[in-house]
Amino acid sequence: MLGEGDSKTEPKAPGGRRAGGRGPERLGRRAGQRRRGEHDAAPRADFRGRRVPSARQAGAGPGRSARFSAPWRPTGAERPRRWPCGGGCSVGHCHPLVVQAAHEQNQVLNTNSRYLHDNIVDYAQRLSETLPEKLCVFYFLNSGSEANDLALRLARQYTGHWDVVVLDHAYHGHLSSLIDISPYKFRGLDGQKEWVHVAPLPDTYRGPYREDHPNPAVAYASEVKRVVSSVQEKGRKIAAFFAESLPSVGGQIIPPAGYFPEVAEHVRRAGGVFVADEIQVGFGRVGKHFWAFQLQGEDFVPDIVTMGKSIGNGHPVACVATTQAVARAFEATGVEYFNTFGGSPVSCAVGLAVLDVLEKEQLQAHAACVGSFLMELLGQQKAKHPIIGDIRGVGLFVGVDLIKDKATRTPATEEADYLVSRLKENYILLSTDGPGRNVLKFKPPMCFSLDNAQHVVAKLDAILTDMEEKMRSCETLRLQPEAALLSPPLGECALLLVLGDPELGSLPSAVAPSFQTFCL
Amino acid sequence: MCELYSKQDTLALRRKHIGPSCKVLYAADPIKIVRAQRQYMFDEKGERYLDCINNVAHVGHCHPEVVKAALKQMEVLNTNSRFLHDNIVEYAKRLAATLPEQLSVCYFTNSGSEANDLALRLARQFRGHPDVVTLEHAYHGHLSSLIEISPYKFRKGKDVKKEFVHVAPAPDIYRGKYRENHADPASAYADEVKKIIEEAQNRGRKIAAFIAESMQSCGGQIIPPAGYFQKVAEYVRGVGGVVIADEVQVGFGRVGKHFWSFQMHGKDFVPDIVTMGKPMGNGHPMACVVTTKEIAEAFSSSGMEYFNTYGGNPVSSAVGLAVLDVIENEDLQGNATRVGTYLTELLNRQKAKHTLIGDVRGVGLFVGIDLVKDRQKRTPATAEAQHVIYKMKENRVLLSADGPHRNVLKIKPPMCFTEEDAKFMVDQLDGVLTVLEEAIGAQTESVVPENTPCRTKMPKEAPSELLSDGTPDPKENPGQKRNRLCADKPSLLSKRLKT
Repeated sequence: MLGEGDSKTEPKAPGGRRAGGRGPERLGRRAGQRRRGEHDAAPRADFRGRRVPSARQAGAGPGRSARFSAPWRPTGAERPRRWPCGGGCSVGHCHPLVVQAAHEQNQVLNTNSRYLHDNIVDYAQRLSETLPEKLCVFYFLNSGSEANDLALRLARQYTGHWDVVVLDHAYHGHLSSLIDISPYKFRGLDGQKEWVHVAPLPDTYRGPYREDHPNPAVAYASEVKRVVSSVQEKGRKIAAFFAESLPSVGGQIIPPAGYFPEVAEHVRRAGGVFVADEIQVGFGRVGKHFWAFQLQGEDFVPDIVTMGKSIGNGHPVACVATTQAVARAFEATGVEYFNTFGGSPVSCAVGLAVLDVLEKEQLQAHAACVGSFLMELLGQQKAKHPIIGDIRGVGLFVGVDLIKDKATRTPATEEADYLVSRLKENYILLSTDGPGRNVLKFKPPMCFSLDNAQHVVAKLDAILTDMEEKMRSCETLRLQPEAALLSPPLGECALLLVLGDPELGSLPSAVAPSFQTFCL
Repeated sequence: MCELYSKQDTLALRRKHIGPSCKVLYAADPIKIVRAQRQYMFDEKGERYLDCINNVAHVGHCHPEVVKAALKQMEVLNTNSRFLHDNIVEYAKRLAATLPEQLSVCYFTNSGSEANDLALRLARQFRGHPDVVTLEHAYHGHLSSLIEISPYKFRKGKDVKKEFVHVAPAPDIYRGKYRENHADPASAYADEVKKIIEEAQNRGRKIAAFIAESMQSCGGQIIPPAGYFQKVAEYVRGVGGVVIADEVQVGFGRVGKHFWSFQMHGKDFVPDIVTMGKPMGNGHPMACVVTTKEIAEAFSSSGMEYFNTYGGNPVSSAVGLAVLDVIENEDLQGNATRVGTYLTELLNRQKAKHTLIGDVRGVGLFVGIDLVKDRQKRTPATAEAQHVIYKMKENRVLLSADGPHRNVLKIKPPMCFTEEDAKFMVDQLDGVLTVLEEAIGAQTESVVPENTPCRTKMPKEAPSELLSDGTPDPKENPGQKRNRLCADKPSLLSKRLKT
């Protein structure tokens, strides 16, 4: 069993630095001047000229708490609670370095971006280093929703087109414009607008092309091509293809590799742009890369990337990154873009501190390591508990798909709801998502440890075992693992009887159909 | 002061990495601000500026109580509103206590734009009507849905007015259709709204809402005449619409006598939805929509959740509470009344002295100085306003100009602004205007003919020189050549001043 601190892979330098880099001299950097967050033995000055010890020195420095020098971990008194990043606390709730950065800046200046300030440009520069070179122009805002709305505006100005292609079950935000492009929302509200076109979610577990398909990436991309063609036949024009790099609300979906590059080709040929919504999944969560879209290949570069949630560890920050061309087209309207709070010195200080912590504590590598371990443990659970239909994930973005029936893969909605309530009783916070509300979503703070993973899975195991003994409300809760592999698939009608059968036990009252989808 | 980059490098990096649509103030000579306290800002050289612009730093830049409240909460918990927490409910309770009783349900967001977008969603969901009546020169935010209802924005860009948007004249009694000499401008302007509503109804359209800033800021510090909102509310509600008061710029005691600007119109005027932002957190990203139980219930009846990741988080709520405490403890509303009255008095004396000042209007610490070339015709003095802004900056006073013609000097400083500050600001303005008027007067006697284009005909859109990156954009408006002549004027003036 892996112990904490072991790593299956060599921790790589997080931040996804581009091959070849930008050259030895960054603009404005005088020789010898250190970038914020660089670790070395020599102290550096902060904005007020105070000598600030480096991380290594911090523990030894007078008046500095020892905890600053080590990766921050919750202390013994705290229960190992886990919540899939509801507030976007990516580096850990109340991380002292992030708090310190916000506090220091709050005491000095917090005003708008119409004045020159170093923080905003420094932050933009640091972000640009994590992205492919052409994504070098930034707009700062306060929420992922604001970011996606701006992305929509940018796409439309740049292309001169209006229509948008989105994925089924997508969620891009709560603003009027984004409800319109979020099937997850509009299906329950105003319905689909004529300028919105929905392509199938590239879900290789539950979608039309599954794990047994020879090339699901191309197959799903062809669906997008079909949608684009039909749009053009109606005389309409595509401004953008909008997709979460890893659809979360859609059920923790990992699009097959190669899908985005193919889609981008179809969309760009039609004069549209590719918008990658990284709000849920950016900043190293996937472990292997800084940005989830990078899983789709080195050569794949979206035209616009939106980021939020984890960017500020809970502070309201968000960002849009795009190309010079898109930015210039937007400028050409002659209309200023001003966001009152976006890009403020405090928000940028917070953003920079989060980047520092991600780097200093090697959280990206950590996510890869703990994520792999978690997947392995969950894989063992899948073999043991037939209700687990699928485990999918990358880094610390994992989904556990619960099913009533192995053949039909019917979502085990009520069972998932019940499981979540039982986990809460055990002081573990989890939520579910997916159109069937049956996918357990794991996207914890990035400091989530191997111990935490072990603990959660142990509880999950115990509860599922209990459900198999006492609840047995669906076929998969009644099958033994060996039986599940050997027995023929059962019809769905058999399942309907279960809920009302007193011999088999009814579901506890906690499982009322009042469950709300959590969309984080 | 230790900078990471020199000012030059900061500017260069900004040009490289920040969207070019994001403008800086004083484009010809931007300021780098590194520190601020109370109503003062400091540049990288340590020079102090009096801040007359930043209504966002409502209780004063970097107020220690607000900073402390944020720190205290940041160290303990900052998560989303799906968990029960005391801060959000305490804050909602305190906010509701400042409002008329029927406005009791709060939705927390992060920006005024998000708040206004939600206000539209609430209004539209209420009775299922889609249309919105808005005011000329209004600005409600940068989101797609709000550009659509902000003539201040959509008239400038390539966007055309949407068919579900109806634009009523701004109730500007200085430059609008019905002026101070009209018998009853409130009713006259309200009747314009009535006419628009009737026309829309006749075309089978249904009005969801009338939305207006309680006092238009981008529109030029416009104070609607008393009685206007009551009548408008009557017409709008008569057809099943609701009234949205956008207090994003002007709430939280800025007008002095009342906490909310709409309250100036009397106890019998209560909007259905109020949006607030900017000053709410003294710079911390937060905003709010407050509405009635009825509207809130209609919104939730769809069964669709409204979740805002950061809205209503414990830190934002703690900050909001701290701001309310400071407003109360430091009697900032009283200060706004006292200093605002004094400031307006000083400015009226300046008006008597300087023909460039066409109008001084304001309430509390929300004041506008409307500069004109000609008092009879009220021709906006756009270039002169730009010149004044830059000169005032040289004299260490930060002012901005707005209004459709960019000729209204806007004063909405942090609420700790003092009488000394007011005196200082007005003294500097006096000096700048005196010199400017002398130069204009001298120029009038010399070669510049009376009928130069920029005197006789104002272009529709004034150049946003103050907020540009310095390069004239020929696409911005068709009158560019004329504007450039006007824009050249300040440099011509300054040349003369040097000789």
